[in-house]
Amino acid sequence: MGVFILGVGYCGSFPTSSGLSYRELIARAAAMAYQDAGISAEQVDGAVSVEEDFVSGYSIADEYSPDQICMVRKPIYTVPGDFLQGIGSAAMQIRTGRFRTVAVESYSKASNILTKDELLHFAYDPIFNRFGVTPHYLAGIEMQSFLGATSFTAFDVAEYSSKSRSSALSNPLAPYASCVDAADVLRARQVASPVTELMIARPADAAIVVVLGSDEAARACARKPIRVSGIGWASGNSVIERRDHRISAGTAVAADMAYEEAAVRNPEEEADVAYVSDIYAHRALMHMEALGLSQDMLPRINPDGGAQANGDQFEATSGARLFDAVRQLRGEAGAHQVKGACRAIVQGWRGVPTDTCAVAVLEQERS
Amino acid sequence: MNNNRVAVIGAGMTKFVRRASETPGELTSYAVQMALEDAGLTIDDIDCVCLGTAPDAFDGIHMKAENLVAGAGARHKPYMRHYVGGGTGVMSPIHGWMHVASGKFRTCLVIAEEKMSPCNPHPAGAFLTIFDHTTEQALELTLIHIFSIEMCRFMHVYGYSEEEIAQVSVLCKKNALDHPAAQIAQKITVKDVMNSPVLSWPVKRLDISPTSDAAAAIVLANEQVARAHCKAPVFIEGVGYRLDTAYWCTRDLAFPNYVAMAARDAYEMAGITRPAEQIDIWEPYDPFDYKALHHMNALLLDKSGRRTRELLASGAFERDGSHPMCPSGGALGVGNPIAATGLMKIAELYFQLSGQAGARQVKKNALRGVAQAWGDLMQVGTVVVMSSEGGMPRTTRWSRMKAQDLAGTALKSVEDVPNVKDEPDLRYAWDNGMALTTYLDGFKKGVIRGSKCPKCGRMMIPVRCFCELCNLHAVNDVYDLPDTGTVQTYTISRINWDSSPLPEGKVNIFAVIAIDGAAPEMGLVHKLGEVSQKEVKIGMRVKAVWKPEDKRAGDVLDIKYFKPVSGKEGLDAKPRQVKPAELDSISAKPYKGRIPMKYIYTAGEGGSRFWKDVAKGKLSGTWCKACDAVHVPPAAFCECSMTALDVEKDARALDPRSGRIASFTIVTEDRSGHMLDDPQVVVQVEFEGATGSVFGRLEAGSNDSIEVGMPVELVKTPKDAGPGQVAFKLLPPNARK
Ligand SMILES: [Zn+2]
Ligand SMILES: [Zn+2]
Repeated sequence: MGVFILGVGYCGSFPTSSGLSYRELIARAAAMAYQDAGISAEQVDGAVSVEEDFVSGYSIADEYSPDQICMVRKPIYTVPGDFLQGIGSAAMQIRTGRFRTVAVESYSKASNILTKDELLHFAYDPIFNRFGVTPHYLAGIEMQSFLGATSFTAFDVAEYSSKSRSSALSNPLAPYASCVDAADVLRARQVASPVTELMIARPADAAIVVVLGSDEAARACARKPIRVSGIGWASGNSVIERRDHRISAGTAVAADMAYEEAAVRNPEEEADVAYVSDIYAHRALMHMEALGLSQDMLPRINPDGGAQANGDQFEATSGARLFDAVRQLRGEAGAHQVKGACRAIVQGWRGVPTDTCAVAVLEQERS
Repeated sequence: MNNNRVAVIGAGMTKFVRRASETPGELTSYAVQMALEDAGLTIDDIDCVCLGTAPDAFDGIHMKAENLVAGAGARHKPYMRHYVGGGTGVMSPIHGWMHVASGKFRTCLVIAEEKMSPCNPHPAGAFLTIFDHTTEQALELTLIHIFSIEMCRFMHVYGYSEEEIAQVSVLCKKNALDHPAAQIAQKITVKDVMNSPVLSWPVKRLDISPTSDAAAAIVLANEQVARAHCKAPVFIEGVGYRLDTAYWCTRDLAFPNYVAMAARDAYEMAGITRPAEQIDIWEPYDPFDYKALHHMNALLLDKSGRRTRELLASGAFERDGSHPMCPSGGALGVGNPIAATGLMKIAELYFQLSGQAGARQVKKNALRGVAQAWGDLMQVGTVVVMSSEGGMPRTTRWSRMKAQDLAGTALKSVEDVPNVKDEPDLRYAWDNGMALTTYLDGFKKGVIRGSKCPKCGRMMIPVRCFCELCNLHAVNDVYDLPDTGTVQTYTISRINWDSSPLPEGKVNIFAVIAIDGAAPEMGLVHKLGEVSQKEVKIGMRVKAVWKPEDKRAGDVLDIKYFKPVSGKEGLDAKPRQVKPAELDSISAKPYKGRIPMKYIYTAGEGGSRFWKDVAKGKLSGTWCKACDAVHVPPAAFCECSMTALDVEKDARALDPRSGRIASFTIVTEDRSGHMLDDPQVVVQVEFEGATGSVFGRLEAGSNDSIEVGMPVELVKTPKDAGPGQVAFKLLPPNARK
């Protein structure tokens, strides 16, 4: 059974968004997604919300998920994970044959968290891994290991970051696009060497809602349905003492799963555009390796500027990439449109200390 | 359509205890190992893993599922967490069912875990932050308050006495005497329940399930795998889950419609049309005794409540009765580690329907059962119907299981074992946005505000700018409403939000008040004042008592409380349309809050060994037979093979002077993001003869000259050290041969 993206809605991203409560931010994205899908909210069978307690500031944050996506008393649950995992969960629901349409929602009100580093420090294992220093320390360990094991240099990482930020000046949704070069990135203040301040995506507020549907639903209502031809997700070891920090094992396993489902054999040849999580710049290169994409693919990676230009939106980060991928495949991406984009790979990862990753293969539906 | 039946083919769990010595990961790994063994599979046979666990505030780890990857056996596997508060445990098999029924996976390991004891001074404190941060938290409510508010309404509508309800507690605690994992099984009487201390009337101590630490796991498989591996597979025949609005003061709390809707979904899928006759065993969620009855009304699809009353009165809920209810002993008897409780109920259906329940086996020949969980703000229902092809009683490992066969070490105090303390500084400022700015501005002016949906015509409190029931249609019309209303239900509380007692003789009366002029039954929760405990009644008319204007801050505490009023006061007051707040960079304010939790984490088996060693300047790893490797740091289980390791017997001494820097980073900020006076170095160090590494700080020296591969020595830590004190020092380059 096929699974399709019927509609997408996005509101963001913003360094702060004080004029909109989290409910209003999400409702804005949801209304857009339903309109884009050509259906009313009441026609949607169920939903998955993708959020984490301490990011929302609630305990059992799922309580506050149904209203602003108009899913009151519907089948809905929360997946605290990467946004693409929510897509995976919704796709499974549709494939059981019990659901025709399912909405997936995530948001970030990063600006509402006053102690973001404390929060991230709190994600580390309390017995072994809370050292009282910046929680970005694991990114430093990773980048050091990654550079030591590959031919990439710190300059390559810096260049990735600077190009993402500067090329995104043509993307009106990217608040952190700026005129910056690789030397600036290398020279920037070190946070956890070799990671500098300009290699870390800045936090941002945004909401994303995606409506998925079965073949039948896609035929019935969608304006330009996009096929989810493959989806996979996997986790690396949570014991960071026994995790290989040179690679993203989670991405590699997830990619195998998604490629097999989508019958992708040579990802670099078969994908026109790819999105990878670049919350830290080195992770973009590490994820490309795990996806089987060489440096030749770089011009077609994150054409929207990625998280480096659009911001770290926590669980919603890969949702912003998915939103751009859908617009690319519909030929509606504006100034950063990749010509003739028919197939996209989207990879998601939401930051240290995790290595839980997800990969989706999206395709234009040929009529 | 292809056959997508899904079966339970194995189950495992730890003991349910108030405070476990093991870490969340260790508890989880024991439940997983047991479930795999029960199913006759190894971790390599598992295609995917899904995990249910409720708030992170219990275990005290942000994104806690990420920390549980190893314990869940999910390393390098598809792994996903899900939750719906207290409904999570029964959502878990539903999410697992999706994994297999979608055809994507053949087998799925489903795990539910909760370790509540790290949360101090009392895990109940974590419930403060389940309430709306802007419109409710300031009232310092906790879970017991809304349970008692709901129980009061339930008793009012259905006419139950406290004594009748107490029978459920008696039944569950008695049934639990036969459950090997049980935490508070005991023989008690209705009188014992009635005489137990009142916490928040009508809720007394023995009406409530305890807080607990535990993990449970089941193995799901498609029909082909199930038939090959399992003598008596138990199939998941129906699933349902529904989540109601977050605005919990807008619905009648007496009948859980969302549970009934979830049950209808599950019954429809399972082909059940007359649940009372077609279901043999009932495992409704029973965190409080009245909840089991409340849920039975919904599971029986009987809003009149007559059937449940008859069954309770006739003794039909006993194990030898016609409708055995909570034969496991339920949350009230076995314990209530939120998510794990629901999965324990699913495991109970598996045991009962496959004839493995031993002393707990129900008398009737049970072929079909239903399990249900519930949670959030009186909001979510999760329902699973399971059935077997003939559950003849038989002798298995589970039918003979004794408490001593289950993992889990109960502690009197978490400080009795090596532990690490932490108090995260979690502060927030939530944007009010358009609607709440207008609502809170009303409080400042001494009025309660609502907004009216042009589609459904509901006058809604608090103000919103879209309608959650009308396709998110814009709501622009704002009104000042009367500050009078009617008490819908209430509780007389003797405890604070963190479960500590109020001063002797003092009570707080919390009530749900339907506000005049708002849509029927729509209201808010607040305190009552100027009223004695004896006078308070459902249906009582009340009016807001405001703080003086110059003391108002624009929040719910601008109303001091509601006091009784007589006669028709307020009844003929009319809503008056007002202009909504104008947002600009000064008026668009946030509402500030924090999560005020403190944590004490037990070090567990692996951690205790590690801290014991490093305090002596030593280091050991744990030898794993399956991997033929020594794992460092020491571990009570191997996350690759999911086999148990013994941190004492399988300990292998490592040379603390044999370290080599595998990776390092120079950090310039502290855990809060403040710049450090002096940069510090965090190193990852590998040791000769071991797989794995140890992370720690490098003692001060020249940061510029650090390189990967440099030899280092693990330094002896002070006693009672935490991870911040694990340190290494550089050795001369030729220190090792
Ligand atoms: Zn409406
Ligand atoms: Zn091993």
